[in-house]
Amino acid sequence: MSSVTDPARTATGGRRSLADRTSATPEQLHEWLRQMLLIREFEVRTMQAYQDKKIGGFCHIYIGQEAVAVGCTAAVRHADPIVTAYRDHGHALARGMHPKYCMAEMFGRIGGCAKGKGGSMHMFDKPNNLFGGHGIVGAQTPLGAGLAFAKKYQDEVIDGGTNEHVTLCFLGDGALNQGAFYEAMNLASLFDVPVIFVVENNGYSMGTSIERGTSMANRIIAKGEGCGLRGYEIEGMDVIDVYEAMKDVADTARAESRPAMVDLKTYRFKGHSMSDPRKYRTRDEEEQWESDDPITRLRDAMYDGGLLDEAAFKALAKEQKLIVRESIAWAEASPEPPIEELHTDVYVERFGPYLGTSMPQIVTDAEENR
Amino acid sequence: MSITLTMPRLSDTMEQGTIIRWNVKEGEEVASGAIVADIETDKATMEMQAYDDGVIAKILVGEGTQVPVGTPIAMIAEEGEDPGALDAAAPSGAVATPEPVAEAPAEETPSASTPPPAPSPATPAPSGSSGDGARMRVSPVARRLAEEHGIELRSLVGSGPGGRIIKRDVLAAVETAGANVEGASGEVTPVAIPMPATTAPDQALAATPGSVVHEVPALESTEVAVSGMRQTIARRLVESKATIPHYQVKMRFSMDALMDLRRSLNEKLSGEGVKLSVNDFIVRACALSMAEHPMFNASWAGDRILVHGRVNVGVAISLPEERGGGLVVASIRDAHLKSLRMISAESKHLAVKARDKGLSTEEMSDSTFTISNLGMFGVDDFTAIINPPNSAILACGAAIEQPVVRDHQLAVGWEMAATLSLDHRVIDGAMAARYLGTLKGMIEEPMRLLA
Amino acid sequence: MSERVIEFRDALREAMTQEMHRDPRVYLLGEEVAQYDGAYKVSRGMLEEFGPRRIIDTPISESGFAGMAIGSAMLGLRPIVEFMSWSFSLVAADPILNNAPKMLYMSGGQFGCPIVFRGNDGAGGQLGSTHSWCVEGLFSNVPGLKMAIPAFPDDAKGLLATAIQDDDPVFMLESERLLAMKGHVPEGDHYVPFGKAVIRRPGTDVTLVSFGRPVHFCLEAAEELAKEGISCEVIDGRTIRPLDIDTIVESVRRTNSCVVVDQSWSFGSPGSEIAAQVHAHCFDDLDNHVMRVHSADVPTPYASNLEQEYLPNARRIAEAVRSSLYVA
Repeated sequence: MSSVTDPARTATGGRRSLADRTSATPEQLHEWLRQMLLIREFEVRTMQAYQDKKIGGFCHIYIGQEAVAVGCTAAVRHADPIVTAYRDHGHALARGMHPKYCMAEMFGRIGGCAKGKGGSMHMFDKPNNLFGGHGIVGAQTPLGAGLAFAKKYQDEVIDGGTNEHVTLCFLGDGALNQGAFYEAMNLASLFDVPVIFVVENNGYSMGTSIERGTSMANRIIAKGEGCGLRGYEIEGMDVIDVYEAMKDVADTARAESRPAMVDLKTYRFKGHSMSDPRKYRTRDEEEQWESDDPITRLRDAMYDGGLLDEAAFKALAKEQKLIVRESIAWAEASPEPPIEELHTDVYVERFGPYLGTSMPQIVTDAEENR
Repeated sequence: MSITLTMPRLSDTMEQGTIIRWNVKEGEEVASGAIVADIETDKATMEMQAYDDGVIAKILVGEGTQVPVGTPIAMIAEEGEDPGALDAAAPSGAVATPEPVAEAPAEETPSASTPPPAPSPATPAPSGSSGDGARMRVSPVARRLAEEHGIELRSLVGSGPGGRIIKRDVLAAVETAGANVEGASGEVTPVAIPMPATTAPDQALAATPGSVVHEVPALESTEVAVSGMRQTIARRLVESKATIPHYQVKMRFSMDALMDLRRSLNEKLSGEGVKLSVNDFIVRACALSMAEHPMFNASWAGDRILVHGRVNVGVAISLPEERGGGLVVASIRDAHLKSLRMISAESKHLAVKARDKGLSTEEMSDSTFTISNLGMFGVDDFTAIINPPNSAILACGAAIEQPVVRDHQLAVGWEMAATLSLDHRVIDGAMAARYLGTLKGMIEEPMRLLA
Repeated sequence: MSERVIEFRDALREAMTQEMHRDPRVYLLGEEVAQYDGAYKVSRGMLEEFGPRRIIDTPISESGFAGMAIGSAMLGLRPIVEFMSWSFSLVAADPILNNAPKMLYMSGGQFGCPIVFRGNDGAGGQLGSTHSWCVEGLFSNVPGLKMAIPAFPDDAKGLLATAIQDDDPVFMLESERLLAMKGHVPEGDHYVPFGKAVIRRPGTDVTLVSFGRPVHFCLEAAEELAKEGISCEVIDGRTIRPLDIDTIVESVRRTNSCVVVDQSWSFGSPGSEIAAQVHAHCFDDLDNHVMRVHSADVPTPYASNLEQEYLPNARRIAEAVRSSLYVA
């Protein structure tokens, strides 16, 4: 299990009460539970769709890590940019992307958030300030620093005020080994850029455990400290703990306009991707983590707190199942992108064979609904 | 509604899978997430999980069977359904006939070939436009300029690498153009077959003077320069074949009477220097037949047919190489008004002149009908290419002594085959047959040609 | 034409300062651009004018700062990233090739990348093989980026100003060898549109097509050939992407001969691309196949004489012209 003391439990092992643990309202808790159930069901159906060959290419499943996306997103404001790597469906849904656009993207349809031209690894959502979805390990870390840089520049240089934003830049523990990450941390520190590098530390880079690939694996925040970033270690299987801890991290980073690095201990229940038979870890290990499902954690805490009963839970779960099923139907009905789309979005400008650019439905729908 | 479990795609390259072990039995309850089977793929043995709750109604594919991805392997009855009832509804051919793998549109898009920014040229063969056999090297712009200025590429020597004809070669030719191009104008009309001046079969075999058989004569690769005249003849021939709808009608003529008459006349007139050839008779016969068949003396003019008042019969004369080779057609004007001996004299005169000094433009123009004769070479029959602007040409073969039928009896006689090539725009088949009938009358009753 | 004569480097600076005054979203970052006044003095004085928030010295982290700049461009800022040499851009190949030109496409049109990468491109200063890259040979291949390569000071200003205003990522290939070149440069706003080549020297016998510094080699060759009675038309392509093929084609249709001069290596280069396009468009107008003059197909040598022979110099260009025209 994690090496961090589980804040959800008292010293003697019993559960702390909700009121003790968080200032989140029942509505917020309910919403987090809903989001995690949505992400879970969505990812299950994504796996199924992949095995039914409706989704091709690479596909990385977020099951087990729901508390990270949901808790971190809840801890920042809507206007704060978020960027992540390729295990991005959870982040997209937590940020507010309707699952139909996400599924349609993976089905390669025009209704997808990137008009079917990105795929599973490239979930972008301009109205919800989600900046991808990136495939190359670690490449999003300089981008994350850049997003935070831009927000600060806008606030201070253009608007003449003070920095008001933070950026969440998610990465896996595998990205710790990429040079770009160090350069990003170094630059962020030098320029006082308020980017929070959130390492979703699930202990594995594909088949390589962190101990085999990363020096200082038992204390990765030392790397951030080496660049002058505040470091935090957080238990990542409980959404309430994630929220409470990340709220502090974000508030500090925002106020100080300084970067930070977070080691979020979590676990992916499924393989690295859909092609991974997971031979590099034991069934025992998996079962141990799976017995501590973030969904059941919150559910049980809410039961204890009298905020939820079994019938309500079942209804909520059923509702998410229905939303996902409808999203799949919507995605199936969405047509393939017309051949002209091959030549759009290469350049903004129209010239030669290039047809300029146009927004995907996820943006035009949002503008209509505003 | 029942749920069909199909062989899942457990790796991106997986095409088939084998169920190593079922972890559930028919009638057993399953929950979403339960591992229902172990499946062997191309890469490893993987676990297959259920995504729905229910009861296993039917196992469709047994352990150890390999099936393609997408094949139904089991049925799950959902809450409220009777598992037993699903038996009957099991999809047909579940095991025996593996279903074709469903191709999802979400599969990686076939890499569409990027539309090229420039249209691709795709001009494969560098062959010359005339379709001749020998390869000519010409730069594209030289070729274009030559066409624009009417320069025959074969008349040029290329100064580029490998004898490539290049722009300056063509431009130089354009400057000095004149004689080459001019000489082939007017009425010089190409005909495909030579007609000898004399009648003696053995004499005019123009082919191989003194052809001695060498041991293994080696062929040498050379290039033969082609005169402007030859170029023009070639061009006219191609034009004729390409633009006139040719068809052929053939008839055999009994030549006994004509041969007799000819022999008899030549005997009697030898003192006057007259030597009639078979062809002279044919010329007159054709000319006289025009009176009954004026369309044979006509030309297609696009929106009308020009029927000519004069009958000018063209006779083809082959030229020696020193004169440029090829053929010319000499025109015997008003052949219908000339006697056999006049026709004969004129033919001889023209043939000699063609070979010595060359014929004038006037002598080569204005024919309205053409005859060519390969009889002296022993040719049975052949077809000729119409000499524009004529509408017909008669190709005559040799008069051959052969078995014939007369009065239901086998006999020996002289027969000649003649084939008319006709312009179908002007002359139709019936007309041609009638003309030949008339001609036959003239040829087989040659006394009529004397009047 | 303007009376004023300034250096190529000053022209570049003018483009940047004018655009930075116009649009507060524009900022410059790179190694030594601020306090050092620019490694090649292109950004001299800009730190004083715009302050350290907009003229930013970076550590030696091409991958990091290029990626960071791209991230900021996704949010609408308009960074100018200076690579001290385009040779160093190889370290940043992932962000500049995988992110900048592809962001708009990957996100289905949501996030563009209005960024300019600029720096010194090309060989000639005996900088050795790792510092003498001509990246047009590498990067022009990638759809989604634009590539400009000025040969004269007025174009340096005009193309860079256009690049900064362009909403698409632009690779601006300058030449260290040309930075001191003087020329007439218009004051005030001056924009040269992309995709519009210019005829630097009209002629009738052969079309020479080139970009950047080699344009000058072409002009040198044309002078020599004129003495032999050969009239060369020299086209300065100005931008490789988008390519003004129409001007080239129109010229070749008149001259019937074409020689492309490209300082990158020949295999899979802009030169080979232009030759292929000319063959396609002008097939019936060519008196000879399109000739190409490139840098020698070897790593750039250090020794001065070898380097001079390596370059697509005027002598080799003249030889190609004579060959094209079948002149001994």
